[in-house]
Amino acid sequence: MTEYALELNNITKKFGDFTAVNDLSLRVERGEIFGFLGPNGAGKSTTIRMLCTLAKPTSGSALIAGYDLIKDPSKVREKIGLVAEKMIMYDDLTAAENLRFFGKLYKMPKQKREERIDLLFNLVDMQKWKDTQISKFSTGMKQRINVIRALLPEPEILFMDEPTLGLDPQTTFAIREIIRDINNNGVTVILTTHAMTEAEALSHRIAIIDHGKIAALDTPQNLKNIISKSDTSIFKTKITNLTSKMVEKIRSLKVVTALAQQDDNNLKISANGMGALNQIIDTIRIEGGDISSITNSNEPTLEDVFLTVTGKEIRDHVNEKSNILEHNSNPQTRVR
Amino acid sequence: MNITYILKDSYHIMQKDLLALRRNRESVAALIILPIAFLLLFGYIFPSATTEQHMPMGIVNLDNGQASSALVTQIENMNKNSGAMNIVNYSSVEEAKTQIDRGNVYGTFIIPPGFSNNLTNGKSGNLIVYVDNSNPQLSSSVESAASNTITALNGMQAEINVVKMGSTTVNAQSIVFPFTQNIETTIPGKSNYFNFLAPGLMIMIVMITVMTGIPEAISKEREMGTFDGMLSAPINQISIILGYTASLCVKGFAQVILVLAIAIIFFGVTIQGSILLAFFLLLLGIFSFVGIGILAVSSSKNQATGTTIVNLIMFPMMFLAGIFFPIQQMPWFMQDISKIIPLTYAADAMRKVMLLNANISDVIIQILILVAFGIVTMSLAVILFRRSMTT
Ligand SMILES: Nc1ncnc2c1ncn2[C@@H]1O[C@H](COP(=O)(O)OP(=O)(O)OP(=O)(O)O)[C@@H](O)[C@H]1O
Ligand SMILES: [Mg+2]
Repeated sequence: MTEYALELNNITKKFGDFTAVNDLSLRVERGEIFGFLGPNGAGKSTTIRMLCTLAKPTSGSALIAGYDLIKDPSKVREKIGLVAEKMIMYDDLTAAENLRFFGKLYKMPKQKREERIDLLFNLVDMQKWKDTQISKFSTGMKQRINVIRALLPEPEILFMDEPTLGLDPQTTFAIREIIRDINNNGVTVILTTHAMTEAEALSHRIAIIDHGKIAALDTPQNLKNIISKSDTSIFKTKITNLTSKMVEKIRSLKVVTALAQQDDNNLKISANGMGALNQIIDTIRIEGGDISSITNSNEPTLEDVFLTVTGKEIRDHVNEKSNILEHNSNPQTRVR
Repeated sequence: MNITYILKDSYHIMQKDLLALRRNRESVAALIILPIAFLLLFGYIFPSATTEQHMPMGIVNLDNGQASSALVTQIENMNKNSGAMNIVNYSSVEEAKTQIDRGNVYGTFIIPPGFSNNLTNGKSGNLIVYVDNSNPQLSSSVESAASNTITALNGMQAEINVVKMGSTTVNAQSIVFPFTQNIETTIPGKSNYFNFLAPGLMIMIVMITVMTGIPEAISKEREMGTFDGMLSAPINQISIILGYTASLCVKGFAQVILVLAIAIIFFGVTIQGSILLAFFLLLLGIFSFVGIGILAVSSSKNQATGTTIVNLIMFPMMFLAGIFFPIQQMPWFMQDISKIIPLTYAADAMRKVMLLNANISDVIIQILILVAFGIVTMSLAVILFRRSMTT
């Protein structure tokens, strides 16, 4: 047994001229829950797909469970389980038939397969839905089956691409419980998410990725310490008559390292150095802005870290306006 | 990866696909409706080869001699017996032509003035047959019926003449008709267009099912995301191709049996040769087509493109492979094209086996061509498929 579950060396993936994953190198210990945190298009899914042998890296190498990803993909496949972005399930088959089919592909002996299928249905509390066609399931039920499908062959490493996307809080909680549970049994979990809370709730370590590159990699606590130890402060402000011109003015301030517009009125600003707050307030006033509140969060959240290291904010529902602002943003104001 | 695992996994994939099919009523319906629709469509739109009966035909007698009226009676009696034509009398050529233009009769016999005189003076009596040839199919039927009638009349008259000449020692008929013919055909019974059509149709339906089925199935899996489940499992990618091909074979065979049953029950098709050999040829046909389907799906990003490519290849194949009419009837350059189409050989071999009771050695060339074609397309397909799977 090799020491690491995952060892990536300069993994790069290009689609034509576009670099989706850029020179990724990292190691994940066995038994870890490792999170890739990044906004839409950061390259999370592409990374997972490469590590699951579904896409070929343009360059670089990797060891998965000790096996060479490029030279020995079939060995890698025996060691991994995949919860992909799209659910891996046949709608016309029943839940049990789906699991049985994949169990056969993994060459599981019949008795063991049936026992494990039983066990897994119990794990997600869906025993009585075993013989129901998938097409009759709700999204939450489907995702439970999707997860146990990946667990069926007892993988050493479980890859999960946004495992709780689109689920209600209850199911989200249940899925997270399962993830912790299987991790306690020794399974290494590699997950991607763009939800801060998810990354923070589950991961032992987090890699924040943006534009296919690692912007920061550490434990959630250490990541937060980046902010508390630096003289960066995060301000939240509500401006009743916020305009895009105002936003651009604030963004162009030297002290402002990152800015995210959360909705029509609220801004989140990451700023550096003494007098930053005064400068920001002055700018808003000069532009005729009407500040209804401004707060300085002392206890940094992962969200703040993300804003600081990537210069943008991840949200489930990024409104269009902030997207446009993102694209126009001046690269100099970003922290890399 | 050893071969047993490849085959086992293929079997599991086939089993899964057929199970999904059974659960999906719409897919089952589509599977059954396609061959039935094809069969009825092609069975009825193409003209049947059996000669037409009771063709309406006019007769105009412009002669007032005795011989001509005897002739009219003879023609009428003959056709009453054979049922080939229904004879209507007209008094003038104009009237007969009007009826032809209106489509009431297909043509007319015209007995010109002086017909009886000619005969009594030892000349031949000239009979005019006026035929509507705006419909070539119909006009050839009418022409042959008319000429049959006249040949028969000639025979009867000649026999009478021979007897009159006083030669009683010999059989009059052997002098008039020194040669007689008995036509025997390769296929017993009447020639039937459907007999010609059925073997080709069977192989064509299998081809459509397999060639459209592969891109459809693979694109669907790709778009649904289930493909990633198979590709991240420890199986050989060949198993996916084999599994789907096997599943489509089962579907294709089910359709073929349906087609055959309908053809036998409703269209009087008979099978002369070995059914087993016919099924073997079907399998071989599938082997030679499936590569094309896989090539199409491997070189396209989505289902729409894959299906378009397949249709683009399939339609010319359907019409140039001699399924609906013999390739010998095509212009030479079309015949050359049809020679590079595997369906041509499959349909040809199938027809020989089913209709002519040919055995393996009679169709060995077709078999070798199909095998070669299959090996080439399959090898290309497997290479391209593997490459397209991991982008
Ligand atoms: N097959 C492909 N061809 C071309 N570009 C691709 C392909 N797959 C992904 N990309 C591009 O690569 C980038 C990274 O995509 P990826 O799906 O990895 O992002 P992600 O981090 O998973 O985002 P999301 O949160 O939206 O799932 C995107 O800009 C995407 O457009
Ligand atoms: Mg993704």
